[in-house]
Formats: sequence, C-alpha cells, structure tokens
Amino acid sequence: MTTAAATLQRIRSSSLIDAIGLLILAAFVVWLIYKFGENPTRFLNVGIIGATNGAIYGLVALGYTLVYGILQLINFAHGDVFALSGLVASTLIISVWGLEADTNVILVVLGLLATLAITVPLFATINATIERVAYKPLRRAPRLAALITAVGMSFIVQNVSLALYGVDFESVPNFIPRTSAIEIGDVAIQWNKVAIFLIVIPVLLVLTWFVRTTRQGKGMRAVAQDTEAAAMMGIDVNRTISVTFVLAGSLAAVAGLVYLLQFNIRYDTGFELGLIAFTAAVLGGIGNLTGAVLGAMMIGMVQAFNEGLDGTPGSDWTRSIVFGILIAVLVFRPQGILGERTPEGA
Amino acid sequence: MSTGASGPSGPVLEIADVHVYYGAIHALKGISLEVGSGEIVTLIGANGAGKSTTLRAINGLNRPRQGSIRFQGQEITGTPPHAIVKGGISQSPEGRRLFPRMSVTENLEMGAFQRDDKQNFAEDMERVFELFPRLKERRMQKAGTMSGGEQQMCAIGRALMARPKLLLLDEPSMGLAPIFVERIFETIVEVNRQGTPVLLVEQNALMALDVANRGYVMETGRIALEGPAAELKVNERVRATYLGEG
Ligand SMILES: Nc1ncnc2c1ncn2[C@@H]1O[C@H](COP(=O)(O)OP(=O)(O)OP(=O)(O)O)[C@@H](O)[C@H]1O
Ligand SMILES: [Mg+2]
Repeated sequence: MTTAAATLQRIRSSSLIDAIGLLILAAFVVWLIYKFGENPTRFLNVGIIGATNGAIYGLVALGYTLVYGILQLINFAHGDVFALSGLVASTLIISVWGLEADTNVILVVLGLLATLAITVPLFATINATIERVAYKPLRRAPRLAALITAVGMSFIVQNVSLALYGVDFESVPNFIPRTSAIEIGDVAIQWNKVAIFLIVIPVLLVLTWFVRTTRQGKGMRAVAQDTEAAAMMGIDVNRTISVTFVLAGSLAAVAGLVYLLQFNIRYDTGFELGLIAFTAAVLGGIGNLTGAVLGAMMIGMVQAFNEGLDGTPGSDWTRSIVFGILIAVLVFRPQGILGERTPEGA
Repeated sequence: MSTGASGPSGPVLEIADVHVYYGAIHALKGISLEVGSGEIVTLIGANGAGKSTTLRAINGLNRPRQGSIRFQGQEITGTPPHAIVKGGISQSPEGRRLFPRMSVTENLEMGAFQRDDKQNFAEDMERVFELFPRLKERRMQKAGTMSGGEQQMCAIGRALMARPKLLLLDEPSMGLAPIFVERIFETIVEVNRQGTPVLLVEQNALMALDVANRGYVMETGRIALEGPAAELKVNERVRATYLGEG
C-alpha cells in the first residue's frame, strides 16, 4: 500500500516537474518566434553565428563525452589539450609553413592539411599518454582521486602552454575570406563559416560511423556500457580506453585548428571553452555523441541570441544564462536532452 | 569430440590451491578443482561461498594471490581476461551483464568479439536462435528492455558465440520461471553433447546435479565435498543443506 502510494506520489511530482519544464521551454520557443517575426534577417544572421560557434564547441564537447562515456571521468585537461593544439598549429602555420593572408589558396589548403597531419597524431599521442600516466594507475581508486588528478593535469597542460607561448594571444591571418558564400536576401553565410561546417560535419560523420560500425568502435560502446562484461567478451579494455583518448585527442587537435582559423587563442583559452564544451556535453546527455553536438549547438545559439538580439540581458550575462540553462536541464531532465535512463544509469 | 591440445586424457581445466582476496577479505582459501573434456561439472554452495569468485578467477577478472589455473595444459594464472577469452574460455556471468543499450544481435556479436573466423559468424548466430527462438523475435530489441528470462537466454547465447572450449555459467537459472529453467538446462546438456565442457554454478542444486557428471560443494571459500553428481545427490549433508531436506 505505502509503496504504491509513494510510487504514485513520485509519478505525480515528476510529471509536475515535467510540466513546468515544458512550460518554460514553450515560453522560450514563443519568445524565439516573436524575435524572428520582429526582424527575420537579423535573427537568421545571429543564428548562423550561433551555429558556427556551436559547431566548434561541439568538436571539443565530443572529447569530453567520449572519455566520460568510457571512464565516467571528467577529463578536465581536455580543454587545455585543445588550446595547446591550437597554439602549436599557429606556430606551424606562421613560422614553419610561413603561410600569409595572400598565399595561394591551394597552398593554404595544403598547409592546413599538413598542420593537421602533424597536430592530430601529436595530440592523439599526448592525450593517450596523459591517460596512461595520470588516469590508468587510478582506475581502481575512488572516482574522486581521478577527478582531482584530471584537474591537476589541466593545470599542468595549461602551464606548459604558458611556458611555451607566454600570455599573448596567437592568431593566424584570415586565410578564408569573410566574403559571402551563400546569400539569400540579407541573410549571408560567409566562407569562413562554411569552412567550419565543411570540417566539422565530415568529422562527425566519420566518428559516428567509427563508433557504430567498426569492431573497435563497438568495443568502445561495450566498455562504456559494462567494462567488466566487455572484458569477459574478450575486449581488451586498456587498449579500448587508449583508443578513446586517441580519438579525443585527435578531435581536440581538429578543434584547435578550427578555433584558430576563427579566433585568437592563448594558454588559458581552453579553460573557458572547456567549461562551455563540458556543459554542452552534460546538456546533451553525457556519453551521447549526438547529444554533445546538440548541446553545443544550443549553447552557441543561446550565446549568439543573447549577445546579438535586442531586449536580452547581453553579453555580461551569457555565462550566467548558459549555466542557468544547465541547471534547469539537470532539474527537469537529469539525464540530459538525449541521455537515456537505463537501469544501470546512463 | 574432444577439444584442446592436452588430448582426450588430460583435464581441460585444472585449478590448484587458488587463493583470492578482495582487499582484506580472503574469498577463496585454496580451491582445487578439475573439469575434464566433455564433462559438465557443477559448483554448488550457499550464498557468499565463493562460487562466482572462482569463475571470475578462471576468467582473469580476479587475480589469484596464490595457486595455479591451467587451461588445456597451459598456465593461465595472471593472463588478462581478453587473452583468456581468446584462448577459449567464455562466461555467462552472474546477473547476466548484457550491454543494455545494444540490441540482441549486437550483444551476440560482442560474444564473438575475439574470434578471427568471421565467416562462421552467421551460422553461429542461427544456432543460438535455434536454441532460443525467442531471441530471434527480439533480435532488434535493446537488451536492457527485455524480460529477465529473455536476457538470460541472450547472456548464454552471447557466451556460446565465442565458440568456447570451456563454458562457464554463473547461475543461469536465476530468477527464471520453471519452464525457462527447464529450457536452460536442456540447452546446457545440448551444448555439452556437441562437445563443450561446462562448469556450472547453480543455486538450483537438484537440477544442476541432475545434468552434471561431477560436482563440488563450496563452503566459505573452500571445497567442502566433491564427487560424482549421482553420489552428491544422495549425500546426507548435501540433501540437508542444499536440497531443502532434513
Ligand atoms: N567485489 C567484492 N568486494 C569485496 N568482497 C567481495 C566482492 N565480491 C565478492 N565478495 C565477497 O567474497 C565472498 C564470495 O563471494 P562470491 O560472489 O564469490 O559468492 P557466491 O558463492 O557466488 O555467492 P552467491 O551464491 O550469492 O552468488 C563473499 O563473502 C562476498 O561478500
Ligand atoms: Mg555468485
């Protein structure tokens, strides 16, 4: 009797929470529609900026979500690995290849590809090494020990960046023109934004294909869902975890270059961006690849709308709003937008 | 029908004086047992006796602090689990441990993870579906959403997908309706008849002793009794303790 009553109570209160959540969401959607009606051109242009930034956040968020999915560890160092990769990319582009704003397009493309050919394997190795040295010995230790170590690794990587590059921002010339690639009325998508999607979308497709269909990718999913059962199936757990860090490090390197093409970067860029990306991963449902990108897109949009539309609190409030949304999502949907509630816990 | 390098005469699995600790807890206090080729051997005992720990030690999940585990004449103590599975030992673990967000088919695929011969894969999947037609109906369903009985079938099927040379089953009948229990035991006998030796941990001692050739009775980390299943079944102590009599 009492348990039935308690269950009923729980169902009622959770549906109440759901109702409030849906109400807030509906209010937000109505506000968006209203804003769109007010000035469609501006709305779409701002939305495009949001989507572009969201795509970059998404690349970084994937690294958090991949590692969390498999180790239930928030790899705080990921953001800093991303920033260092961007810094190294700037050195390669400027000092080694000597690319300049007026360099021939073909040479620029070759130079960028050559940059990735170096940074991707380099940071894949660095990331896997971080796992071997800092996290692997703590695999059987309490979760908190690994978490603190991750915070420590974050500081170490950040300090390496600081020691190598100092406090100045690094940047590269605008290789990719800011001229419009697509123009519909007054709504324009510039080439540099198109370029970001040309990199991010294939990376996402390849990653999804890898995790869904390859033997190694299926092994990763198995380890993520039940590590010990995976070992019992003959999956080499250590190797699988290393592969995950290799993937995450590669993504960080791609993200570092993409970010560098768009913004300035310095030793502590990874802290702020890492926080946003991690938030995006939680928002989307940590451990879920599509969720990470979706969450990142949402944050990118919210940020752009807040900073680009009238009648919003403005850029001073962006951080508060982003984290306010995170808290709201965790209250109304603790597993995140796409996270699944399973008996074993998502 | 015999498998393995040690030939028909030698046992497939020999465990000698194995000690396993969980931190300070001395869970296995010198276990010795054998599984011969073609045998079904059952390991019975009260809760907490150390049955699952024994299977986990064989699988490499718990590393013995002392003692030796030999498989097909080769020492496998200290070998990592994935290498042990590749060597031919597969397990259907206690509590099923399916991958909840993978489909039945994907779970079965995971069972064959370490196999190199992908060509027989479809055939083996068919064999599992023949044993458990229910799984075929459910093959696209996420394993975590299936009933307990269906999950148990999937866990056993998954262990069979490895084409094991030794099959470890940890309480395969747990939580199942009597008709399913019958089905599971029939399957064990059938798999064994096709040539796979089985080490079976069971709460249902009566049925386990019915299908087994030999049995071991564990008590708090030690083997208390051993012998042919038929003898254990009529043993006073076994009857009193495990068969609900006396
Ligand atoms: N992870 C663990 N940490 C600490 N102690 C453990 C752990 N796993 C098992 N034990 C202890 O080791 C002993 C043997 O456990 P085991 O699971 O092997 O028993 P069992 O015979 O399989 O019991 P059951 O019939 O309940 O499954 C028990 O006393 C148990 O409490
Ligand atoms: Mg047990």
